[in-house]
Amino acid sequence: MGRKTDITLLDEKGIRCDGRKIDQTRNITIKAGILKNADGSAYIEFGGNKIIAGVYGPRDIHPKHLADSDTGVLRCRYHMQPFSVPERKNPAPSRREIEISKVIKESLQPAVILDDFPRTAIDLYLEVLQADGGSRCAAIDAASVALADAGIPMRDMVSACAAGKVENTIVLDVNNEEDQAGQADMPVALMPHLEKITLVQLDGMLTPDEYKKCLETAIIGCKQVYEIQRSALKAKYENGG
Amino acid sequence: MMEITKRKFVTPGEVIATGPLRTENNVYRDGDKIISTCVGISEIFENSVRVMALSGIYMPRIDDAVIGKVQSTSLMFWELDINSCYVGILRADEVFGRDYSASSNDLSSKLRKGDLILARIANFDRSRDPLLTIKSRGLGKIESGELIKISPMTIPRLIGRQGATIQTIESNTNARIKIGQNGWVVVSCEDSSGLLKAIKVIKMIDSQSHVPDLMERVKSLLESEGE
Amino acid sequence: MANKTIIEQLKREQILDLLQEGKRIDGRALDEPRSISIETGIISNAEGSARVKLGDTEVVTGVKIHPDKPFPDVGDKGIFICTAEILPIADPTAELGPPNENVIELARVVDRGIRETGMIDLTKLVIKENKSVVGLFVDNSVINVDGNLFDACSYASVAALLTCMIPKYELQDDQPVQIEGEKSKPPVNTIPVSVTMARIGEHIIVDPNSDEWACMNARITITTNSDENICALQKGGSDGFTFEQLIKCSELAISTGSKIRKQLEAVA
Repeated sequence: MGRKTDITLLDEKGIRCDGRKIDQTRNITIKAGILKNADGSAYIEFGGNKIIAGVYGPRDIHPKHLADSDTGVLRCRYHMQPFSVPERKNPAPSRREIEISKVIKESLQPAVILDDFPRTAIDLYLEVLQADGGSRCAAIDAASVALADAGIPMRDMVSACAAGKVENTIVLDVNNEEDQAGQADMPVALMPHLEKITLVQLDGMLTPDEYKKCLETAIIGCKQVYEIQRSALKAKYENGG
Repeated sequence: MMEITKRKFVTPGEVIATGPLRTENNVYRDGDKIISTCVGISEIFENSVRVMALSGIYMPRIDDAVIGKVQSTSLMFWELDINSCYVGILRADEVFGRDYSASSNDLSSKLRKGDLILARIANFDRSRDPLLTIKSRGLGKIESGELIKISPMTIPRLIGRQGATIQTIESNTNARIKIGQNGWVVVSCEDSSGLLKAIKVIKMIDSQSHVPDLMERVKSLLESEGE
Repeated sequence: MANKTIIEQLKREQILDLLQEGKRIDGRALDEPRSISIETGIISNAEGSARVKLGDTEVVTGVKIHPDKPFPDVGDKGIFICTAEILPIADPTAELGPPNENVIELARVVDRGIRETGMIDLTKLVIKENKSVVGLFVDNSVINVDGNLFDACSYASVAALLTCMIPKYELQDDQPVQIEGEKSKPPVNTIPVSVTMARIGEHIIVDPNSDEWACMNARITITTNSDENICALQKGGSDGFTFEQLIKCSELAISTGSKIRKQLEAVA
């Protein structure tokens, strides 16, 4: 954070360093059902992020003592490939990845209905092939599509997008440069129909007004993402499965 | 008779209807709204609402016929992979009768790892793995044929109304088709072109299960010569 | 591989019956690999990358490059390290946690094939002898398993290496510093091609899929270079080969390998 930079994050016309307007997301494409072996899967490109989500389950749980006799258990691993970032990352899970795995799991748990699957596990694997700013949001977006693709019962989809503060302005969908040199980054996940926020984090400083604006901006982004998720699921069946 | 008034592609969270309708499969109620829990096709009847899921795993139900694969043997029972989140249990006395003795009978002499059986679910509840039985006509070890794995959600479409679809396939190909509700299907046929054709039709049904004119597609694929 | 799937007895019999007639379960000839698709340059954060499909076996590979201290006894050579991981999305039986013996073998066989053919001239990757050299780190991530991960990872590694761009470094105050904007193609001597074969009964088949993998008696991976020399071998499985079978395997590795090499040359 706070790395010195000589790029202009926001020019006088309100154009950001990657050419976007302040209320514009990066390009997002999602494809459902891309892995043959997994029960459900999705691939997302969200700006420079390239992430595969794979779901296995509900299935037998190992080790057995993790089983819950009343409900199924959702497990989640967010994992970056060694080549996904400019400096090669050690393949072993870092503290950051373990924490992100947990917040992603907790952002999805409110949506999945696991009561009908006692003593089982649903394993969600998020493999980051290439990382850019906002990879946890992109991972959640792919995860939600993969869970729906696997036929896991869900109360709602979960759609995620970040907002942030750059040059004292609230902007939608913070990219890597803005994350490094900007003033705040706030990832948000939303259940769009139930209008429940299932993830919110913040790095940086915002006034109360800015905080509200930032949340509103992120929610608009989440709703845009939701439409893309829905089209991805629909496209899978329109193309003959 | 209940009439379908609307069929629509839906995703989880989508509101399908509002009002005092009965909620059937794959929907839940939130206040006045009835909401889908899965990717599927919504159907609104005169007084009820449901969604036909397009994907998902097999959940055992008592009396379902399933095809299972032996994955391990112990002293008293076999464990079978039934393409579900639970393993199927087949007790030794199902095969050896009431005189079964762990010291004189060897389970693997009757069923080996990897063998397929057609069985019925005799018992299942939230706290126990499904118990299988093979004590009925037509059940037991499957001696020949090719295993095809399709989505369990597709099985009702493969069978068709009163078995119409499956009978059409069998009579046009001379294939014999054993169907497990768990999405596993074994096809056997004396002549290889009939076998290939039957498999092709089953796979087509699996990938097109959500289209409305499925029966016509089945017929035209069966009538097409060779490739 | 990580595949502990129990194959149906019916399928095992079917595979054996078909082989008696010289046929395979998926309709291929015995010496025919599955179709290979190679995409390169898919990860812009990596200096080289590839996504390879060998039938339904699928691998994403990245090459990362950075300066490093040379190994003590080879101060006149750059560093080349190849790893492999079977991601848990790749197969229902894939395991989390530290790599098991199969995965370690996979990484080492792929590494050895490329290293032993001398594909990359490591002597050209020295910034200052005994002090600082360029390191090439090739990481293979398997995303879908359908048998024969050895060849899929090898093709993906080679394709990623062939298309990588190596930054230029120089020592400033004894520290390697990257010179912006100057990049070069890797110093490639030869193109290694790995061909894996399985023996099922008395039959040798090229590029076994997962069903064939599950019922083979033994396997062998042979890597050849552009001059069609054999540079690396790895036998695996709980049974062996006869001498004649091993000769046949080497011939198959060369004939099949030369076709695959053309496809790899085309990406460079």
